[in-house]
This record gives sequence, C-alpha cells and structure tokens, in this order.
Amino acid sequence: MTQATFFVLTALADQPRHGYGILREVEDLSGGEVRLRVGTLYGVLDRLTADALIVLDREEVQQGRLRRYYRLTDDGMRALTAEAERMAAGASAAQRRIAEGRRAPERPVTPPATGPGLAGGLA
Amino acid sequence: MTTLLESRYRMVLRLLPAYYRREREEEMVEIYLWDVDRETQDQSRPTLGEVASIAALALRTRLGAAGAPRPYDRLGAAVRLFALFAVLLQAASAVVDRVLGLTWATTHGPAQWDMYLSGFTVRGPALAVVEITVWTLPLLWTAAYFALLHGRLRLARAAALLAALPTLWPFLAPLVSTWFPPSTAFTTTTALFAWLTALTLCAAHHRDAPPASLPVGTPGLAFAACSVVMGASVVLLPLAADTVWAPATCFAVGALGWLLWRARRDDRGTACGAIALAALGLLLLTVRVAALYPWLGTPVPALVLGGALVQAGVLSLLVAVLAVVGGRDLAAAR
Repeated sequence: MTQATFFVLTALADQPRHGYGILREVEDLSGGEVRLRVGTLYGVLDRLTADALIVLDREEVQQGRLRRYYRLTDDGMRALTAEAERMAAGASAAQRRIAEGRRAPERPVTPPATGPGLAGGLA
Repeated sequence: MTTLLESRYRMVLRLLPAYYRREREEEMVEIYLWDVDRETQDQSRPTLGEVASIAALALRTRLGAAGAPRPYDRLGAAVRLFALFAVLLQAASAVVDRVLGLTWATTHGPAQWDMYLSGFTVRGPALAVVEITVWTLPLLWTAAYFALLHGRLRLARAAALLAALPTLWPFLAPLVSTWFPPSTAFTTTTALFAWLTALTLCAAHHRDAPPASLPVGTPGLAFAACSVVMGASVVLLPLAADTVWAPATCFAVGALGWLLWRARRDDRGTACGAIALAALGLLLLTVRVAALYPWLGTPVPALVLGGALVQAGVLSLLVAVLAVVGGRDLAAAR
C-alpha cells in the first residue's frame, strides 16, 4: 500500500468525505508531509474504487457545484486495519531494538588486526 | 458566472479523456476553486505541478486505467504489448551484439583483440569512459525485460531509461569531440526506437495496469529464442548483418510465428497483439530504411544491399498484414 493510499483510507476511516475534505485531512494527518495534488488524488480514488475499498456515499450540489462524498467499505476498513497493524508492529519492533541498544553496556572497540597487508607488505 | 481561473482549470482538464471528464470534471473544479477567493480568481493560474498531475492522470486514463471504456482498455493493452515486445527485441539484440563482438575479438588473434579495444580507447581516456558506458548500458534492456515480467515495475522503468541513454550520445558527441555520427537519419530513428520503447514501458505499465505477460512461452524461453534467432541470422549471413539485421530478422520470424499461432485460435482476443506488432514492425522498418538510405548509390556488395532490401520488403508486407489482421479482429471484437 502506498503512502498516499494509506492516508486517503485513513482520512475516510471516521466519516465520509468529499475530495477537498480528503486533501485537507491527508495534509493534517501527515503533519503537512503529504500534500496530494488533484490528479494524484483521483488516481488513488479510481484505484480504491476499482478495488472496492471505497464507494460513493452521496452527492451534494453546493452553490451550483458538485460534491461527491466517499466512504470506506468493509473491505477498505479491513485493508486499512491490516496496514495499520503492520506499521504498528514495525514501529514496536524498532522501539524495542532502540531500547535494547540503550540498555546494553558499551562494547569496547576492537582494534584492527595487525599483520601483513593485502599486498603482503607491513604498511 | 465562470471566472478566468475556472476557465483555465477547465482548459487543463481537457487533457483528460471525454469519458473521464463527464464523470469527474465538476467535482475536480470544485476542489480547485474551494479556497480561492473569488475576487482574486482572475489573477491566479493553475500551477505547473497541478498541470503535470493532470497530464499524468490523462495518460493513465487513456492507457487502460481501472474502469476505462473498451477502446481505452484496448489501446492500453496494445501499448503494453508493444513495450514488452520492443524491450524483448532490444534486450536480445544488445546481448547478442556484445557476445558476437567479444567472440570475434577473442578468437581471431591478438591483433583483432587490440582492434576491438581500440574502439574504446582511440579517442583518449575521457571518451573511453563514455564508450565503455555506451557499450555497457544497453545490457540493462535485459534487466528491464525480466523486471517487467516479474512485476518489478520501478526497476524495469529505471533500467529501460538508462538503457536508452546511449542513443543520445551521437547527438552530444559532436559538441564535445571531433567524432560525428555516420548518418543523422539512422541515429535519429535508432534513438526514436529506444526512447519509444522506454517511454511506452513507463507510461503503459503503470501500477493500475494488468501485470505484463507474454502471449505464449516463458520469459527465459522467449529471450533465449530471440537471442538464438538473432545470433543465427548474423552467423549465417555475416556480410548482410548491419546493426538492424538481427533484430529485424528476429521480428520477421516472431511476427510470422505469431500470425500462424493466431490462425489456429478461434477467439479474437489477440487483436491488441496484431496492432502492437504492426506498430513495432513499422518502427523497425523506419530504422531499416534509415540504415539502408546512405548506402544507396554507393558501390556496396550486392549481398549487403540485397539483404537489406529484401528485409525492408518483408517488414513492409508483415506490417500491412498485421495491420489488416488487427483491424479485422478489433472490428469483430466490438
């Protein structure tokens, strides 16, 4: 799952949103790291719709303009849950390793072996 | 009332195919204009990044994205097959050319080996690095071919783009050295062949496209078969073998085999294959003619001229037959 796909699914996890709402939510969720362009957003929405991970929830016309709201399907929620658990497991493993590294006593630095060099000399 | 900015966005959205605009244009315009103050809309323009993202979406939706109508679906399938066949030809051609060259240089005595090496070193150490790079990079077509068929799309794209780079060297060389390409038409068509291969691979084998697969055989078998046909064509008629000879012969054998294979099938699901092969044949024919053109009117051995003319004739015939077959299959499949 790409970063853009993950954040779009996450943006739709709590409620249906329209295109602009998804863009803003993705930006907020990622702390401003991910700023999707409209072309990229619709590429992701097309793919998620084709994979039946999202569906059209409803359409509204506001001031003569069309807004389409999208929502997660059950499959979409399952895919997002699985991805979130995978990422959480990876993050936990990384934190465990970092903590173990901090607790372990500092190892002495092994000096390089002295002896003849690759070319057979002593330099 | 429509503002100037809205008109500009709608103009950019015209890059998208009509079926996609019917479905999405209004909601896309709504997003673009959401937080833009109406008073300042006439001073704003779509950014380059916005235009680029719509251009990328336009390409993807035309080449068989999810839910595309049948004509775009078929166009995408044909372009993907074209890219796959072209990468296979480029890969086998690069390997065979280098293997035969090295075999010749290492089996004909020290003088031949020195002559082979002088091809790299004669223009000085700086250009020797370029010559070695130009010799080595086309081998990446093989990496692109196998990566494509094993679903490693990013690797396939990078390898194909790098493999195509050496075809630009003949255009740069006159600017930095005293070397001039032998024929502008030939170097241009060769570069066109390489870059069309690489760019169609990048554009058509996108993430949403169906995985690449050969119509028949395994990736290794197809590569080996192409290599054997190309190698044999050079070994059997070495005098006729210019740089186009081996890939053009391989294409002719492959296209003929494909037509026979198709004749035994009842379904018309092979239309995209015929169109892809016709396009590839046309491109090879252009390279064939460009390679032949400078020799017309000069005293060259009859075998060289005759071989190239016969090959051009066979390619023309095959392109015509494939175009007719593809057209009929497309009409039947509608």
